[in-house]
Amino acid sequence: MKIKVLQHDPAVHLPQRPGDPTPTSRNLDPLMHPFARARERTRALNAAKMDRMFAKPFIDSLEGHVDAVEVMAKQPGSLTTVASGSWDGGMIVHHLARRSRLLHVPQAHKGKVSGICFSREGCLFSCGVDRTVKLWNFESSQGENPQPAAVFTGKSAFNFIDHHNSDPLFATASNLVQIWDETKSLPVSNLTFPTSTETINSVRFNLSETSVLASIGSDRTFTLYDIRTGKAERRVVMQMSSNALSWSPTFPTTVLLASEDHNLYTFDIRHLATPTQIYKGHVAAVMACDWAPTGLEFVSGGWDRTVRIWSEGRGHSPEVYHTKRMQRVSSALFTSDARFVLSGSDDGNVRIWKAKAAERLGIVTARERAAIEYRESLKDRWKMDSEVGRVVRSRHIPRPVYQASKLKRTMLEAQRVKEERRRKHTRAGEDKPKAERKKLVVVEQM
Amino acid sequence: MDALIQKADALQPKQKKRKTFHNPTHESVKKHTAIPKSLQLNGLEVEAPQHKHIANKKLRAELTRNATHTARTKALLQDAELLLTEDAGLMQTEGALERTWRVPQTEIEEGAGQDAARGRREWKLDGGPYRSRYTRNGRHLAIVGSNGHASTFDWQTGTLHAELQLQETCRDITFLHDHSHFAVAQKKYVFIYDRDGVELHCLKAHIEPTRLEFLPYHWLLASIGNAGYLKYQDTSTGQLLVEHRTKFGACSAMTQNLHNAVIHLGHQNGCVTLWTPNLPHPAVQLLAHLGPVASVSVDASTGGRYMATAGRDSTVKVWDCRNWKGAVREWSARGGAAEVEWSGRGALAVASGGSVNVYTAPTIQQPMIGNTQPPLYLTHPIPHRPLVSLRFAPFQDVLTIGHAAGLSSILVPGVGEPNFDSTEADPFENRKARREKEVKALLDKIQPDMIMLDPELIGSLAPPPKLSTTTTFDGKPPQAIPFARLPRLDRLRVQGKADETEVVDPDDTAPDGRKLAPEEKERKKMRGKGKSLKRFLRKQRKNVIDPTAVAIRAKLEKQREERKVRAKDGPPRKASALDRFASG
Repeated sequence: MKIKVLQHDPAVHLPQRPGDPTPTSRNLDPLMHPFARARERTRALNAAKMDRMFAKPFIDSLEGHVDAVEVMAKQPGSLTTVASGSWDGGMIVHHLARRSRLLHVPQAHKGKVSGICFSREGCLFSCGVDRTVKLWNFESSQGENPQPAAVFTGKSAFNFIDHHNSDPLFATASNLVQIWDETKSLPVSNLTFPTSTETINSVRFNLSETSVLASIGSDRTFTLYDIRTGKAERRVVMQMSSNALSWSPTFPTTVLLASEDHNLYTFDIRHLATPTQIYKGHVAAVMACDWAPTGLEFVSGGWDRTVRIWSEGRGHSPEVYHTKRMQRVSSALFTSDARFVLSGSDDGNVRIWKAKAAERLGIVTARERAAIEYRESLKDRWKMDSEVGRVVRSRHIPRPVYQASKLKRTMLEAQRVKEERRRKHTRAGEDKPKAERKKLVVVEQM
Repeated sequence: MDALIQKADALQPKQKKRKTFHNPTHESVKKHTAIPKSLQLNGLEVEAPQHKHIANKKLRAELTRNATHTARTKALLQDAELLLTEDAGLMQTEGALERTWRVPQTEIEEGAGQDAARGRREWKLDGGPYRSRYTRNGRHLAIVGSNGHASTFDWQTGTLHAELQLQETCRDITFLHDHSHFAVAQKKYVFIYDRDGVELHCLKAHIEPTRLEFLPYHWLLASIGNAGYLKYQDTSTGQLLVEHRTKFGACSAMTQNLHNAVIHLGHQNGCVTLWTPNLPHPAVQLLAHLGPVASVSVDASTGGRYMATAGRDSTVKVWDCRNWKGAVREWSARGGAAEVEWSGRGALAVASGGSVNVYTAPTIQQPMIGNTQPPLYLTHPIPHRPLVSLRFAPFQDVLTIGHAAGLSSILVPGVGEPNFDSTEADPFENRKARREKEVKALLDKIQPDMIMLDPELIGSLAPPPKLSTTTTFDGKPPQAIPFARLPRLDRLRVQGKADETEVVDPDDTAPDGRKLAPEEKERKKMRGKGKSLKRFLRKQRKNVIDPTAVAIRAKLEKQREERKVRAKDGPPRKASALDRFASG
């Protein structure tokens, strides 16, 4: 008779010396792990709830402007330097980490500061409705009343300014797009679409194809120019005008438009007939947009007093940020490390938000990092579960925004029903439904 | 010099090395981005469903990625057998005449190692038949005598945690989540003590309890008493969750299915019932025995697939929990009521009369004609009747029997699961690990309303949404129409409010049995004839038997018969004035 009785060797299962980690043994047989799925779901639910519990995105508010903040710009290559200009003509360069001012000009322009940009060399350009562009060396100019290093005078009020990525050129938007050389006092070229009589609201250089620039105008247009040919290449007219545009930092052909019709649109500039994606969520006009440097997310701020963070290609349910005191948002920025979001609003404050609402600032240990990643994957895995999904999706939004979105939904539904009924009573095949994406562009001009 | 000559004579390779495509960007990035060799999934190409029928590109890519990931995980799991380092115990015959059941405990003790031999114990205790319970990691043992002697101790090192003389009848004992708390079913109420034997709670809601069970993943203490109420108490929040009135009277057989947390009760009338907290009635009720049920146990080694019951009719039955039509196997145990218990590797111990018999796995569940008992694996006589409790120690080859003169532990080689998982139950855990596990288990506590017969239901595919329907228009692929856009009748149908009970009108069929077209039916309709009666009948539900409806139905039947007879005679002749003179 062969007899063997099970015995566990303590030497294997206990630490060899005091202070050693206790050896663990694993048995992956599913029968050894009853309720594995139910427990994982509980963990996912806890992860989702914890995520909402720790969602405290607001970090700080940078004060200093007397009137509404109109524009903001970040310095390329710097994580902390951000300039903002307001309606009263004041301009501040903020240091985000120290929450201090590097430069404060109480009267940079008469009337509002309508555009701010940085050059690669670290010079600051500002333009205003007083028909001037001013160049500031903010690192050297300190004191009570700093003076600009140079002033460029134009013929009409400027609406926007953007600097070339590498060359000492900048573009301004007024009733036409003008290209200026930093060393010359007059514009080097004027760019305009032949038949246009509009006011240009915004102009931006492409980030990788640096001689291409795009503008949006008051005639509901989006125009592409090339400074090598020195003319407008093509133009599309849309249903509603746009308020801001931003080139994707990773996909050179992708451009993002913040539209007056409460939506954001990404366009592939090779096919301007339809947008590649519609981003629906705002309940009032979108006033500003900016891509994250990763090109995977972007931020938008709107007339509905919310800041929203979207992931690229997902046209619904963005992250929503709001506070009681934040008024209409007229400018929004993603910082260069993609961790923070800035918003400038009508109440004259620049606010700093976290890009991920529940993210922990400060040093995260490797174990914590692993736990965070595990929780993320759990949430992703169980997002289809009704309870987990509900917690993950639900956001508290201010009552006026909620009511407005409800009203908007009702109106859209009524429109849809009306359209359907009308179609039902027209001759068959005469009136076909039009895809939402195809409704946007009215005409494309070469 | 030699080296130079050798080099001159050396055979040069005929061809130059094949020129490979050199991509500087790739080369520069490769060093920093390559996955370590050990983590590369070479040779782990798995077959995963491709979801080609899904039109949406993004969804298809996502589904394919998920399926590949799942398949790869499954493939990798097969390698996890490397982690199982310990071997199970065994008892093997070497000659044809040898039988394992003839081996006495003394011989097993000699064959076992020194550590394992410590499992063979005799505890001689006064105070009535003893019941016992192990913790989930098999390290600690709680015992209680019917006269009120309760004790918990680490049976391997012999460390005593608590010893209580409760001075009243005690019927059952159980550990809570680990050995730091235990509950005793005393004369009137359930009491909870901590490890040192300090009374923490008196659960006055549990009156005259007879059996206790603790559901570890739900943190529920379930009790059944002489009044026949099954009560669940949440031990993490302290709230009495639910009490079910079983309506079967006093009950003294209770067990849990470890894999779905369903409570099995055996009743006085021979019924076995399965309970979940969210159902006020048993999920399953079956008549298992002719007399009262004495003991119930569920096989954890097969995922709760088999249940063994023993009754006072001195039979032992093994049931398949997926199909309750009759027992898989039944046999009679000598000596009246028996106790049954499954081990971690699927051996069944039956204590009846004055001995304990152990049967091993595959033969217990094999259906057999006639009431023959499965081949015996091991038997051990115990002279102290009655034998009231049987417990296998988890992760050990030890069976503890409670009887009138105390407890005895015997060695049963090959019944214990050899490989434990430290994250679930670790016999060697230290104080810190125990505390950490307590917190983790509290965080992972499953809500009690999720207890159901099929634990795999969680996370499975949701049923199709009720409030939409799929239609197809002229050959186009079917598409779901949202509820709001459906016509009214369809909406009612989807909601289940449409009246779809159709009374089949026997008049709709032609005499030759073929169904009539609607216009044909319309043409033959005789206005007003019998219609009101039929309408009345239609109003009655088919399954309601009403004397008036029966009468009307009979009347209609009679009319139909008459019509049939008339139809056989040919079409009715037009009445003539001369008919009155016809004879007859």
